[in-house]
Amino acid sequence: MSAALEISGLTKIYPSHRALQDVDLVVDEGSVFGFLGPNGAGKTTTLRMITGMARPTRGEVRVLGEDVVRAGNAVRSQLGFLPDVPAFYDWMTAREFMHFAGSLFGLEHRVIRDRTGLLLDTAGLGRVKTRIGGFSRGMKQRLGIAQALINAPRLLLLDEPTSALDPIGRKDVLDMVASLRGRTTIFFSTHILGDVERVCDSVAILDQGRVLTQAPIRELKARYARHKIVVEVTDDAPALAGAIAGRPWALDTAVSGSGSIEVTAVDIGAAQRELPELVVAHGAGLIRLDAGEMGLEDVFVELVGEGKA
Amino acid sequence: MRNAMMFARKEAFEIVRTWRIYVLPAIFLLFAITGPFIAKYTPELLTTVGGGQFASLELPEPTAYDAYKGWINNLSQIGLFAIIIIYGGIVSGERRTGSAILVLTKPVSRTAFVVVKVAVQAVYVAVLLVLGTVVTWGVSALVFGNAPAAAIWSSALVWLVLALVYLCALTLLSVVISSAAGAAGAGLGLFVVLAAASLWGPLAEYSPAGLAGTASTLATGGDVERLFWPVTVSVAISIVLVGIAAQTFRRQEI
Repeated sequence: MSAALEISGLTKIYPSHRALQDVDLVVDEGSVFGFLGPNGAGKTTTLRMITGMARPTRGEVRVLGEDVVRAGNAVRSQLGFLPDVPAFYDWMTAREFMHFAGSLFGLEHRVIRDRTGLLLDTAGLGRVKTRIGGFSRGMKQRLGIAQALINAPRLLLLDEPTSALDPIGRKDVLDMVASLRGRTTIFFSTHILGDVERVCDSVAILDQGRVLTQAPIRELKARYARHKIVVEVTDDAPALAGAIAGRPWALDTAVSGSGSIEVTAVDIGAAQRELPELVVAHGAGLIRLDAGEMGLEDVFVELVGEGKA
Repeated sequence: MRNAMMFARKEAFEIVRTWRIYVLPAIFLLFAITGPFIAKYTPELLTTVGGGQFASLELPEPTAYDAYKGWINNLSQIGLFAIIIIYGGIVSGERRTGSAILVLTKPVSRTAFVVVKVAVQAVYVAVLLVLGTVVTWGVSALVFGNAPAAAIWSSALVWLVLALVYLCALTLLSVVISSAAGAAGAGLGLFVVLAAASLWGPLAEYSPAGLAGTASTLATGGDVERLFWPVTVSVAISIVLVGIAAQTFRRQEI
């Protein structure tokens, strides 16, 4: 599989701070790639360099095999981009903006007309006749995705497409992104873990300008294959937690005020066998015992936590 | 080239569909219509308002040239102020709102972005100037009976060159200064500098500094000996200003 986007050694230093440090990324063509990081991690800075809006201090960005800094319009004609806060011309209608965007790509009028109809319908804006100035944030976000697709891009860059949207608006946008799977490569920056888990195949986690990890989501979960077990007992949870902590399969334990003990286990089989015995040995009554895989959120928190340590 | 044309089309529609269609035309039209009447009735107004105070003053009979002079002088002051204020955000406005990003991440070069904006706005100012001049000329003909064409059109043409210098200077300022108000403030500073420079003969004869005075002289039917150099130098300065603006914009991060 060829790479739609290759970033190597990307560093961006501003006079006041270092925004990115030696970022390496490879995004395979056809994948939905989540670029995950907390606010201020450097996601938008990375996207600005991918689109050529900012220049790297060091390093290289190759889009579809072309160096972004040198290729200019040749690369941009293959890109679709949605900024984090898309700003349109308020005096235009959605249809007019789509025609304007299509014409900047040099598309034929017939192609623009056909794609505009299709994309606006997909974005739920097909029947909206009002000017963009009267649009809600969600409508602008959906129009932003629609305009980013007018040139049928080989690489679609979405910067925080669901931030600041209400749950319905967020669902609409994620549905749109999911519907594009297999039709183009999607590079999707976000700080919302649930969105990445829902639509992305692969993920890179960025924190403080550094990529902490990059892998397919399944592989990432397998790499950090640990299990969270919640044990809720009637009496003396702290003493039981102390006993659990002493077992070789228990990586971490935490006691909440309500008598719940959260255990991170490296060997789920051993934990399942021994936990009931420990509860009985402490003379406590078992209220609940839940076991589950670590989610991306746990991986993210662990990695970002390590990065800050 | 085609996408530059499409961007130019958007710029033109933006004029028609926003406040831009009202402000400059209103200013131009106001001066164009009222100028000849003010020129015609100023002596009578002075007599009425001043009573016997101006009895010793022998005011010449007003002519269309007075109306032309008023038209050009108004353009050289209020008209230029309006251009400075309106175009202070010609580039920075789109950067500030974020709409520039949506355009520049498509196959539109930054040079085209700057040059197209200047070109479209220059055409707009030229069209308004032509319309305003036609109105002044026509109203002058009605008010004074006789309205020579050469004086008003030659002076309007010279003023257009001056307006072009300001438009191009504001474009560069708008690239360099992110605030529209800041760029407009610098533009007003340029106005003061050019007004002061016009007092020094050599600068007035070979730079845009003397164009306002030249336009005013032409409007009154006077002869101007040196027109080639100030006009040529002004056009050259305008091109250089836009070139620097485009180059600077290409290097900037957005």
